[in-house]
Amino acid sequence: MNNFEFLRFVNIGQYLPLDSYLHRLDPRARILAYGLIIVAVTFTPRPHGLVVGLLLMVGLLRLGRIPLHYAFRSVLPPLPFLLILAVMQIFLAVHPADAVPFMTIGPVSIFSAGLLSAGMLLLRFTVLILAIGLASFTLSTSEMIHGLEALLAPLTRIGIPTHDFVMVVQVTVRFIPFLAQAAERIAKAQASRGAEWGVRKGNLWQRARQVAPLMVPLFLTSLRRAETMALAMDARGYGSPVRRTSLITMQFLWRDGLVVCLAVLLAAAMLFLGR
Amino acid sequence: MWSFPENPRIRRNLFYYNHTTVNLKIFGCVKITKPMASPFIDIRNLVFRHPIRGKESILALQNVNLAIEEGEYVAIIGANGSGKTTLARHLNALLLPERGSVRVDGLDTRDPQNHPKIRSTVGMVFQTPEDQIVASILEEDVAFGPENLGLPNPEIRRRVEDALEITGMSELRQRPPHLLSAGQMQRAALAGVLAMRPRCVIFDETTAMLDPGGRRMVRELIGRLHRDGLTVIVISHFMREAVAADRIIVLEHGQVAIDSTPSTVFSHPGDLPKLGLDLPQAARLAEKIQGVLPGLSKPLLRSGDLLAALSNLPRPERIRAPGNTPIRAPGTVTPLIEMDGLYHTYMLGTPLAHAALRNASFHSSEGAIHGLIGPTGSGKSTLLQHMNGLLLPQVGRVRVGPYDLNHPKVDLKAVRRFAGLVFQHPEYQLFEQYVGDEIAYAARLKGEKAGLREIVRSAMRMVGLDFETYKDRLTFTLSGGERRKVALAGMLAMQPEILLLDEPTAGLDPLSRRETLGYLKNLNCTGKTLVLVSHHMEDVAELSSSVSVLNKGATVLEGAAVHVFEQVDLLQSLGMEAPLAAQAAAVLRSKGWPLNGGILKPDDLVDQLAQLQESGRE
Repeated sequence: MNNFEFLRFVNIGQYLPLDSYLHRLDPRARILAYGLIIVAVTFTPRPHGLVVGLLLMVGLLRLGRIPLHYAFRSVLPPLPFLLILAVMQIFLAVHPADAVPFMTIGPVSIFSAGLLSAGMLLLRFTVLILAIGLASFTLSTSEMIHGLEALLAPLTRIGIPTHDFVMVVQVTVRFIPFLAQAAERIAKAQASRGAEWGVRKGNLWQRARQVAPLMVPLFLTSLRRAETMALAMDARGYGSPVRRTSLITMQFLWRDGLVVCLAVLLAAAMLFLGR
Repeated sequence: MWSFPENPRIRRNLFYYNHTTVNLKIFGCVKITKPMASPFIDIRNLVFRHPIRGKESILALQNVNLAIEEGEYVAIIGANGSGKTTLARHLNALLLPERGSVRVDGLDTRDPQNHPKIRSTVGMVFQTPEDQIVASILEEDVAFGPENLGLPNPEIRRRVEDALEITGMSELRQRPPHLLSAGQMQRAALAGVLAMRPRCVIFDETTAMLDPGGRRMVRELIGRLHRDGLTVIVISHFMREAVAADRIIVLEHGQVAIDSTPSTVFSHPGDLPKLGLDLPQAARLAEKIQGVLPGLSKPLLRSGDLLAALSNLPRPERIRAPGNTPIRAPGTVTPLIEMDGLYHTYMLGTPLAHAALRNASFHSSEGAIHGLIGPTGSGKSTLLQHMNGLLLPQVGRVRVGPYDLNHPKVDLKAVRRFAGLVFQHPEYQLFEQYVGDEIAYAARLKGEKAGLREIVRSAMRMVGLDFETYKDRLTFTLSGGERRKVALAGMLAMQPEILLLDEPTAGLDPLSRRETLGYLKNLNCTGKTLVLVSHHMEDVAELSSSVSVLNKGATVLEGAAVHVFEQVDLLQSLGMEAPLAAQAAAVLRSKGWPLNGGILKPDDLVDQLAQLQESGRE
């Protein structure tokens, strides 16, 4: 197994250029729909909503032709942290004063409310990660940029520089693969000179300690790259006072409207189901 | 005094015609406000100092005066750090003069109001292609410039079409840039510049990271732009690219040392080393051949001219074919590095999986210098990383010295110490603050204490860095060439048996390149085995005794360097190139000269020619 492919485990932020119904929708419709679903998943107070969310995600991943195992893999890296949080939830959840303990181990009582909230926490984060993953698998950077730009355009009128904001997003997204690649190169260079990278052993602490020497060169190289990119953008007339125009023209069709309406309904259902 | 200037572009092709009409459309007027006498680019008394770099500001340009006319083809050359890039960045207002002035088409760069106009007039292609690409889809990246100019949508579309067409990238318009090869990415960057319809394009070491095929493509594109009437300014460390220009400006310590035609610049070879330069290889070879064949007269600077002159050379009547000179066969002993049937797929198990190696093999004998060549993306780096255990074989067998990398319990740290790898980009390899610590890194991790100082000192000596001067320098203030030396020294301090070198000379000026090759030769003489990955066939030909050629992840040729480089046509079809001496030999052979095989370096060819002359005289 190759220990240097950092990108391989980071599949969030990775666009998959597939041809599916989802991929063909107007980017604005997708951004709105994903946004609504993510908000609903974040705020739904009951498990019913989360279950609907999970089913919806599975359905949408299918519709987007994204392999389910690939999508679910992105849940794995944060899982240890989520489990720790969930365990804390079990003990710390607020319960009614007259509640009967679900079970008691020595001095510690576990209440069903605690179990429920731990389960919801796990489920909520899983669905959220899937939703963010789905958004990145099906929305190319350029679609996201142009979609956001169009959606935020009205804000320009009240003096908010949306173009610059969108540019910041675009460059940030461009930099994610850069960073992973640079980290890989630096780690390989350090390994080549006897550092512990990629040797088939090492506990969690040792691995965490390896990250520190990576940081300084990573920063320096990223800064240098950012500088070159800024120069290249300047050289191509970015920041000129003329209002920017766009190569892409988007078409908002009736089906896009329909999708947005559907998303509103589903989000409402998630938020208010079981009440 | 102020009048309608004679437009030299009228006779030129459609591309240009479009440009003029576009100008009329955007700016709503015909440009008649240009004084006739003023040159297209006018630099007067330019002084520029780089802001703080290691506590002192560095004078980068002093008192530069230059005039460049529209339609000229100019090359700017000079040693690393002589101010070439700084000068170029003044031409499109990326840097502003500290003193003096720069005018582009009559517009002063110091006035920010002029910047949009200046930047659409003078476009610039940078060295590292991936840093200039902003959007995540090629087509949209090409549109970035026109979008910034605020052009209407149909006009943007038209310009994007044209630019993709000229650079031959139309097919790939929907690709995300990080899936393009280096050569394609560089063409994409050029398309992005051309879409702004500039009147001048600056190429800032655009070909440094490209394979011979990519370089040839860029050369052809530059020639085409020049013929179309654009002003072309090329910054390069390849003398071969410089002699293609009509005018060469040589910079030395931020000043213009020479400003003349190629033949004048290279007429005093003795002055070149002082300027960090070298004769173009064609000139060097021509000079040597002239020593034995006086029939080849006048100075020849360009490879094409030399080959043409050779093919026109009258064949002497009375020559006898000499006896075959035996070719040294590479050692048939057990190789030191042995790789067979190697496959490697990146991102295995994801929808983005792509195969980098498909049935690659590699064999290198002990004490040899083995060249590894192939077009960009052919899997050279991947193969190299298998040799020190950074990558482990997915399918296939790898043995490096005593280490079997297929064995699950192989000591990877020992393998990496046995075979030291120096990567192509030195900036990713320096992680300490001071040069001394940087070089000591590996030795210190190994647990060395008492002998550390001596190890560092001798490693630095091997690459020509003075211990006392450099040990306390900050690594990030080093120049590109120095960084490479430090990276190499850092690896030598680990005292490996095998040195794996990925493009050790990319981006170096001709003089530093020669120096580096010298160090590598010396290291080989001390008994180290070298594996050299390079796009520079002359370097490979000069150093290596054996060569492997990779294409699309498979080894297509492997053997003695003389045999591999004889396959002139095969190499050409792979986007590689045989060294010039081998090409010259092939031309002469096709004209009936009885030359033997085994011609790699200029001296091989000259020796054989001399022998032929001798035998003719007898």
